[in-house]
Amino acid sequence: MAGIDVGQIITALIAIIAVPLALLGYIILGEQIIERLSDSLQGWIRPYFWALPAIGFATIFMVYPLLRTVVVSFRNNDDTDWIGFSNYKYFFTFPDTLTSLRNSLLWLVFYTFFAVFLGLVIAILVDRVRYESLAKIAIFLPVPISAVAASIIWKFMFDYQPPGTVQTGTLNALLGVAGRDPVAWLINATTNNAALIFVGVWTATGFCMVIISASLKAISSEVLEAARIDGANEFQIVRLVITPLLWPTITVVGTTMLINALKTFDIVYVMTNGAYGTDVIATQMFSQLQHNHLGRAAAVGVVLFIAVVPLLVINIRRFQQQEEQR
Amino acid sequence: MTEVLARRSSRGVALCLGALFLIAACGGGGGNTGGGGASSTDVTVWTAWGGAELKAFKDVLAPFESTSGVKVHITTNRDSTNQIANGIAAGTDLPDIAPGPTDPVMVKSWVSKGAIKPVETALGSDFSAYISNTYPALTTAPGGASDDPYIGVIGGKHYELMIKTQVKGLIWYNKKVFTGTAPKTFDELLAINPSQYGAQKLFCAGFESGAASGWPASDQIDNIIMRQSGETVYTNWVQGKQKFSSPEIKLGYQTFLKEVSAANVYGGANTALSTNFGKAGDPMFKTPPGCLFLEQATFIPSFFQQDFPSLNLKAGTDFDFFAHPSMGNTQYDGNVNGFYDNFAMYNDTPAARKLMAYMASKDAQQIWVNDGGTLGAIKSLNYTDPVFKNAASVAASAKNLLVTAGDFMPSDMQKAFWQSLLNVTNNPGSLNAELAHLDQVQAAAYATS
Repeated sequence: MAGIDVGQIITALIAIIAVPLALLGYIILGEQIIERLSDSLQGWIRPYFWALPAIGFATIFMVYPLLRTVVVSFRNNDDTDWIGFSNYKYFFTFPDTLTSLRNSLLWLVFYTFFAVFLGLVIAILVDRVRYESLAKIAIFLPVPISAVAASIIWKFMFDYQPPGTVQTGTLNALLGVAGRDPVAWLINATTNNAALIFVGVWTATGFCMVIISASLKAISSEVLEAARIDGANEFQIVRLVITPLLWPTITVVGTTMLINALKTFDIVYVMTNGAYGTDVIATQMFSQLQHNHLGRAAAVGVVLFIAVVPLLVINIRRFQQQEEQR
Repeated sequence: MTEVLARRSSRGVALCLGALFLIAACGGGGGNTGGGGASSTDVTVWTAWGGAELKAFKDVLAPFESTSGVKVHITTNRDSTNQIANGIAAGTDLPDIAPGPTDPVMVKSWVSKGAIKPVETALGSDFSAYISNTYPALTTAPGGASDDPYIGVIGGKHYELMIKTQVKGLIWYNKKVFTGTAPKTFDELLAINPSQYGAQKLFCAGFESGAASGWPASDQIDNIIMRQSGETVYTNWVQGKQKFSSPEIKLGYQTFLKEVSAANVYGGANTALSTNFGKAGDPMFKTPPGCLFLEQATFIPSFFQQDFPSLNLKAGTDFDFFAHPSMGNTQYDGNVNGFYDNFAMYNDTPAARKLMAYMASKDAQQIWVNDGGTLGAIKSLNYTDPVFKNAASVAASAKNLLVTAGDFMPSDMQKAFWQSLLNVTNNPGSLNAELAHLDQVQAAAYATS
């Protein structure tokens, strides 16, 4: 459209200014009314009065979309008719979506395991060296890099050139030095999912390490001392003393990684866009949206949500336990 | 004191809110600035062009504006189809001139609603000259049918004025390497021995293109199918009426697999799949050359030149192309894969008619092609660039201009189609399974789109 629409700017300004003003008005006017009530009534009504805006926002921006998604998942594409479980049936029977389910399972298992396991091992190891902070920085560096940038970096690393020519991809150059033929990492069905998960692990290990390391520092040295006096060797200390003490942290980090694995999108989208059997649930949901199959996309979203709920429950329980311990 | 303040501020808040709501109410009314009235001096045009293309359009308009006294108001709008659809639905102003929609269903619906005015009306007595000057493939429905929404022909009338065109499926080669004559048939092409010219393999290919990977392969198979099984099969296939597992489409896939077989394609399947389309032709210019031929559209020379700045590659002397060879069915040799730019008239005003007539004129289109980078829609233009001179002869030989299949399929079909080409290149043994899967996607995609 020609130029800037003044009407739209005014609407935007109103949205920015009017909402806080309306909230302010609500509080001032409401408080004036509540002040005139009896003391007992005030004590009963005030918490609800103050919580109401937050509950209202959460309802409008979180509960409503959630319910709406569930509703849309049972409706046809034009949102004009109920079609029962067709969208779910599609999701659990169509070969493409089944591939994405399988891959998401691979991500759940391998991404979570390696990110947490490597995070734990590195945290324990760097705890024992003098240049700890330096090593930690190196491991943590990939974390702040956006997944898109990381994917592009690794696309270069996995680059493939015809055998017999100069290999510009680092991995294939190394294979060349070893006298082996280059591998098309992102195309070959036996390596592509592993390659993508590896990039995910690369970006997540640093995060796991930092959290676990912080918790490791909280273990009192007296406990370790006592174990050593009792004759435990270092492996036994790690296995029987440190790991059990770290277990609550590992659970929290692990569930966070599980949720990340389920939500994986950017790495797959940038590196393969789901080609050669690398689709995951989130990229599948995105392509359904892109193809205007709103019902199917909603069904994928609902499945994803249901899969995440138990993990959220575990995480919240864990937080509550920690609160109680304090 | 605090109470007074509180009361005063609350009154202030209420006042402010009231004022804001008033502004909001007023703001809602403003807005649409799109269209124009029945003016004889002003015409509004929406185009998707920017940069060099927009500059070329302005160059074309300059003589028109000064001689006709009509002022052309250009808006670059890359969402014009959606906005015009909204305008038609709401009955609000439309631009006087903008491209027609590409979706065939939308073309028919807009025509039936009277939103698009026929080119016959716009050009009046100039119409017959337009038809005889323009490439026939752009104005004539295959087999003399009265409908071809892919070129804006509905009920025997034309709704899209053709102004530019491009042809695809050209076979590029390094002139210093391939010194033979252009093969007439696909079998002759396959029979060429690359080592005779010192090259490793017959073809180069590069199907990688980020999230759109596979489209270069789809261009190749499109060009095979339209010449092998004809325009009817091709169009039915684009429209979802021809199954992927049908003998014709399967034959197309099998023929495509010959182009990317380990024996024929440089570096084998992995190289074709992991090479970006822009770099696909590079081995042609290496010593020794990796391949003889690359199939691609008219835009590819800039990639050659960019990748080998030191060679100072010149079109016509260092590299050239020949048209896609016949697939052995001579009655389909006139099918050419390409695309076009068009103008449709949405408001029948004297100024809009004048501009439409001017755009259909040789004078206008010559300025256009002088700026480079495209073919005009008129047959008798002069090209200085050897690439476009040659491409013009391909366009002139075309009986039917057939659009690129994937671009006119529902988007989930398009994605599955592109990825299937990558998968069969990777593993030719999976062809039957891939085609069966494509049938499944086709049944779902066309049913709901």
